[in-house]
Amino acid sequence: MTEYLIQAEGLWKTYGAGGPRQVDALRNISLEIERGKCTAIAGPSGSGKTTLLSILGLLARPSRGRLSIDREEVSQVSEVFRTRIRRENIGFVFQAQYLIPRLTAVDNVVIPQLCTDVSRREAGAAAQKILVQLGLESRAEFPVEQLSGGEQQRVSIARGLINSPRVLIADEPSASMDDVLITELLSLLREMSNQRKMTVVVASHDPRVLDWSDTIYSLRNGELAEKR
Amino acid sequence: MGLRRHTNLASYALGSVVKYRSRSTIIVLGLIVSVTLLCSVEFIRDGVVLDLSASLEEGPDIIIQRLEAGRQALVPLSWKETVSSIEEVRVSTPRVWGYMDAGNGKLLTVMGVNVTEYSDIFGAVGTTILSTGRFLDANMTGELVIGQGIVDLMNSAASPVTIGVGSEIQLIDYQGGLVPFEIVGVFSTESKIHSYDMVLTDIVSARGLFGVNVSACTDLAVWIDAGSNTDSVAFIIDSSLPQSRVLTQEGIRSASLRSYESQAGLVGLLWTVILMSVVLLAFAASSAGSDEARREVGLLKALGYDTMDVLEIRTIESLVLGFIGANIGISTAIVFDFVFGAPLLANYLLGWDLVLLNGGLPLVISVEAVFGAYFVSVIPILVATVIPAWRNAITEPDSVLRGL
Repeated sequence: MTEYLIQAEGLWKTYGAGGPRQVDALRNISLEIERGKCTAIAGPSGSGKTTLLSILGLLARPSRGRLSIDREEVSQVSEVFRTRIRRENIGFVFQAQYLIPRLTAVDNVVIPQLCTDVSRREAGAAAQKILVQLGLESRAEFPVEQLSGGEQQRVSIARGLINSPRVLIADEPSASMDDVLITELLSLLREMSNQRKMTVVVASHDPRVLDWSDTIYSLRNGELAEKR
Repeated sequence: MGLRRHTNLASYALGSVVKYRSRSTIIVLGLIVSVTLLCSVEFIRDGVVLDLSASLEEGPDIIIQRLEAGRQALVPLSWKETVSSIEEVRVSTPRVWGYMDAGNGKLLTVMGVNVTEYSDIFGAVGTTILSTGRFLDANMTGELVIGQGIVDLMNSAASPVTIGVGSEIQLIDYQGGLVPFEIVGVFSTESKIHSYDMVLTDIVSARGLFGVNVSACTDLAVWIDAGSNTDSVAFIIDSSLPQSRVLTQEGIRSASLRSYESQAGLVGLLWTVILMSVVLLAFAASSAGSDEARREVGLLKALGYDTMDVLEIRTIESLVLGFIGANIGISTAIVFDFVFGAPLLANYLLGWDLVLLNGGLPLVISVEAVFGAYFVSVIPILVATVIPAWRNAITEPDSVLRGL
């Protein structure tokens, strides 16, 4: 029996509601994300992929519709509770990475653990381990602005993985990476997904990422166009 | 929430202070300058107030002067009887005083008193005689008791002169003649400004020095009965003597502080401008004014930091910067005032001839001044950084990260 971790029903996201510049970024999106599987959100630029990921990752609330994680309705719960869900269950890889400049790669990776009861030393050790897995052991102590685009992307991925999240939400994770790195990254994500039952939701229009996914939802102009 | 989490957040906050070291340095430097300025002025102000209070404590409750065409004129001795007849007046005694060149361009205050009346007043300036000396003899003329400041002044002159009990000095009278005096006592005073350079002599000798006739005096010093209302007595005197100018201790205190406050006000304005600049800089660098800092708050929220975590980080950052700035600023002010004597600032604020102040400036470190320094350096920085961070922390992380 298929087990769904995330279920969305009739999601809308409207910016500038009621104003002259009202935009419906998402329109009536309903989807289901299978637990422990890799799901891709595909679509051209401006189709609403990032907005949908933000809602699925509890970074934004839908204007309308319902969102459930583990069968628990989360779109209307308090921000404190949503923050706790993010902290304990969700890892993020942002398209813009949002690494904190002047901090080293390892210092960036440990950030999600600093708001927990894990000690700084333990967090550092965990960060080092993931950076090794991502081939960044020699760059761990470098300030992130001294790293290449691909290296920065891997630091961002390491940060998303450090809390061993149940869900990894990644927006264009293959950007700035060459073929070899993409292959390694996808294989690592698949391995973690299998080992830890981690659910991966990826927004991408990279064919290699789409081929790798178990399920693909395609968006066009904020609407769900296709499921494969 | 566990201690480790707080430790982690504090560690992150301290890391941020170091990470944005240019911004941190500028804020701390700005705070140091403004706190140094504030504390230097406050230490001097508190010292002036204390000095003035000490001086007034040693002085009469009321001073009566006479105005003639708006100018101060000699007081007829007949006024003494009028004032003494007022029920609450305990002592009314004439004084003849003026300023005299000490020989090096510095002015001394020479005050002639009725020795019999004056020596009976407990705690009056000049009556606390040090070591081997004595107070003036009511039957003698040509005697002096001098303030410790005069001894210090002479000792520190370019050609030092040691004077003390038994020394003879000559003062120049109003006709240019030299009048010999013998020092019979050196008195101590709590005041370093107002009474420090004072010389007391008998009223007869003072009249001779200043050319004041026997039926007049410079002013009348009045002490009233304990428990009497000074303002009421002053009002009665004022009503009885139409030409009089009646100065109460409180009136003298207000007038003296007013001249100081007008100078201190300009320094205060300068201090305010510097502090505001620092606050604006902190605000601009905080999550309200800087995209980088705003995104950082959004990121922390996205990664699972509670609003309180974000505020704790920003609070620790602000407190660290504020306390570093305040501590160094207060320390610098102490060194500037107490070690170096507040060069330039003291001259500007006090306007007196500070060369006389061999005992140093009258400085006081009050709890209020120190607390005020911490308050004005920590609170504005805290507000300028924590409030914008809070506003971003309660906004959807997606909106903050994407700048929507």
